[in-house]
Amino acid sequence: MSNDGASGRLLPALAVTGLFAVLAATALSAGFGEATGFPADASVVHNVGYALFNLEEIASIPSEGFLAAFLIVAVALDVAVDGAIYLARREDDGSVVAAIGEALTDGGER
Amino acid sequence: MFDVYVPAVVLLPFVSFLVALGAGQYLPKRGALSGIAATGGSLVLSLLIAASVAGGQAYNETLYVWAAGEQFTLTFGALIDPLSALMLVIVSLVALLVHVFSLGYMNDEGEVGLPRYYAGLGLFTASMLGFVVADNLLMAFMFFELVGLCSYLLIGFHFREPGPPSAAKKAFLVTRFGDYFFLVGVVAVFATFGTAAFAGEGSFPALAEAALAGSTTVWTPGGLEVQTWFTVVGLLVLGGVVGKSAQFPLHTWLPDAMEGPTPVSALIHAATMVAAGVYLVARMYGFYALTPTTLAVIAFVGGFTALFAATMGVVKDELKQVLAYSTISQYGYMMLALGAGGYVAAVFHLTTHAFFKALLFLGAGSVIIAMHHNENMWDMGGLRSRLPVTYYTFLAGSLALAGIFPFAGFWSKDEVLYEALVHGLNDPLLLGGYVMGLLAVPVTAFYTFRMVFLTFHGEPRSETARSPESVRWNVKGPLSVLGTLAVVTGFINMVPVQKVLGLEGIDYLHRWLDNEWGGIAGLSSHHYAEVGPYSSAYLVGGEAGTVLVGAAVSLGLALTGLGVAWRLYDVPTPTEHTAALGGIKAVLYNNYYLDELQVWLAYRIEDIAGGADTVDQGIIDGVVNGVSSVSLAGGSRVRRIQTGLVSEYAAMLTLGLLALLVVLGLNGGWFL
Amino acid sequence: MVPVEWYLLLAAGLFCIGLFGVLTRRDALYFLMSVELMMNAANVNFVAFALYYGDLTGQVFALFVIALAAAEVAVGIGIILVLYRNFGDIDVTVPAEMRW
Repeated sequence: MSNDGASGRLLPALAVTGLFAVLAATALSAGFGEATGFPADASVVHNVGYALFNLEEIASIPSEGFLAAFLIVAVALDVAVDGAIYLARREDDGSVVAAIGEALTDGGER
Repeated sequence: MFDVYVPAVVLLPFVSFLVALGAGQYLPKRGALSGIAATGGSLVLSLLIAASVAGGQAYNETLYVWAAGEQFTLTFGALIDPLSALMLVIVSLVALLVHVFSLGYMNDEGEVGLPRYYAGLGLFTASMLGFVVADNLLMAFMFFELVGLCSYLLIGFHFREPGPPSAAKKAFLVTRFGDYFFLVGVVAVFATFGTAAFAGEGSFPALAEAALAGSTTVWTPGGLEVQTWFTVVGLLVLGGVVGKSAQFPLHTWLPDAMEGPTPVSALIHAATMVAAGVYLVARMYGFYALTPTTLAVIAFVGGFTALFAATMGVVKDELKQVLAYSTISQYGYMMLALGAGGYVAAVFHLTTHAFFKALLFLGAGSVIIAMHHNENMWDMGGLRSRLPVTYYTFLAGSLALAGIFPFAGFWSKDEVLYEALVHGLNDPLLLGGYVMGLLAVPVTAFYTFRMVFLTFHGEPRSETARSPESVRWNVKGPLSVLGTLAVVTGFINMVPVQKVLGLEGIDYLHRWLDNEWGGIAGLSSHHYAEVGPYSSAYLVGGEAGTVLVGAAVSLGLALTGLGVAWRLYDVPTPTEHTAALGGIKAVLYNNYYLDELQVWLAYRIEDIAGGADTVDQGIIDGVVNGVSSVSLAGGSRVRRIQTGLVSEYAAMLTLGLLALLVVLGLNGGWFL
Repeated sequence: MVPVEWYLLLAAGLFCIGLFGVLTRRDALYFLMSVELMMNAANVNFVAFALYYGDLTGQVFALFVIALAAAEVAVGIGIILVLYRNFGDIDVTVPAEMRW
């Protein structure tokens, strides 16, 4: 861990503390009622599965349907892996970004 | 029929302007032939219009409304009555002859840049014709400025030499100075009467007359008396007139304007543009006749200028300079006539002067061609036998200018002086003008014939004079036409003969301008005589006797001047006699140092302008620059927030979020 | 049942600690860890309100947040790799080119 001087951390510390104070004040002054829990005999994990696949008929805990989001997140994860691989690729001539990028940008060398 | 003819008269030369500008370089005569065709067409149409007026028709219509407001309507229109019909014929005739002459003066002499020249002539002719037919003061002002512009363009035709562009600038600035007062006067007319129309029941002369009679009210500033305010307005418009017609003190531009080509001098600075000022006063005469003070000023300025310019013409060595001062002097006569209530006399002198002065200038042009552009009269001599046509026409013009019986100038100048005399016998200020005009007569004759004898008589004093270049028909033709006119034009208004011999009806111009054949009510000479402040008084012998005495005196003085010039200069080898003038010679030669005075005044104004400049640059620019420097300084401080470190940006985001939450929370009652 | 305000306080605390780490840490990997912490604070919030309203939407949403956080870290590490190649160090205070 690197060690900045204490002065370099004062402003962030103050900002963060202030933010916590505001959030806490808001949460505590908002009047929340009694919490509705889940039914005792319902299996949360099973119901999460039912919600993911839009199987509301057999779910015992109410939820929205997340099938579309599920599929989209699958695509997003795939894209993320591809992006990471692309960024990590090292060119033969030593440039840090693959050639496909140079068709659209100049690498900021100007 | 007028609806077509009148715009056509103005637009034909404009078309020739466009042709010369666009296609002049491809035409064989560089635009001259289209100019001749256009001015010829305008002349034919002008004659037809004059014939229609003689047949009893007149025309006063608005042709185009270009700005319609609640209080004023700004229009273009045409006004055809005897005065404008006459002026149309004069302008188009002289323009046509000058275009033909230009073939000889410009084309045959191998001048370059001729499309620009013919374009300038075409635009000028169109503007002048537009000015003549203008039916309201604002339109007249616009064309007034246009002719000034064309004068500038044409004087500065040889712009690569140092003289002409400077002369053009001087002409433009001096006339512009006068036009500034004219513009204020136009605005004043609009503010006072709500209209600037020259003719008709709702015209401003009619409204002015009614206001003075008490039957209408007009606006006057600060509760000024109506008569006083009308005098002020008249004097304001007179500013433009004095500038354009080269009267004292705004006459200094005209001698310098001789730097332009001679046909330009003939057309613009002799016959038409400088006539614009006099024509404007004649056009507005129904208004001017109501204000005796303005008339007195006009008469006095005119008479003074007539004498003053004549004295300066006596010592000049260059041919065109003598003619320039002569022009200033003769327009002084016209102003004297207008100021003295001699409306018809002024218009008569305008007509005859247009012809004989254009003739003299074109004759000078012929001499200049012959002398290979050497204008110094002391290098000339003996041209009488070598340029016969030029000599005889020039002689006719000179006799007219000097006012020798029976040439045109005699009749018109005599009538001017007669009107000044009979009205002046009741009004001493006018009598002063009359005396000055009378004194100018021998001086005029003297310098005119000095010019003739030095140029044409005696022995040739230089090689060029011994064998001058001959001139062709395109020079001799216009000279002959104008020479004939200089002889016969006087016969259109032989008032002395009419009064002495009692022959009624031979004063055709009087009858023409009195709307006898046709015209517009309220614009006739008898109407002007009715509303004018003058009454006539006669010397011994009544009217006929006064006429005879006046004519005899002026003719005698003219012959005296001629005789002195004949004695001094009609010798084989004349010498300069200016030493006889003694000390005044330097004053006259330097034009009474008026040019130096005007330059000095300009420098004083420049000092005042320096103060205004400081305010503009220091204060106004200072404020604007200060605002920008504040923002620049502020920006250069504030931009140091951008340190490039993402963590610090995130810190600022956090602070911003914090502040926003606090503000929203306090306003929204989250923490209560 | 634990009152929902306590969960909110926990989430706020986690978030602020994570935020402090983002603002202060110089090492890029620790920076990413702090970002993860902030996302976990949001997850706690989701789950707490799922229990409060008796609706499983919050929990499923938290699942998706975890998945996307993983994706984001993958890309983030790729970026750190490129950063290291360009500047030779993974200290986030070193690249300060885009400044005034």
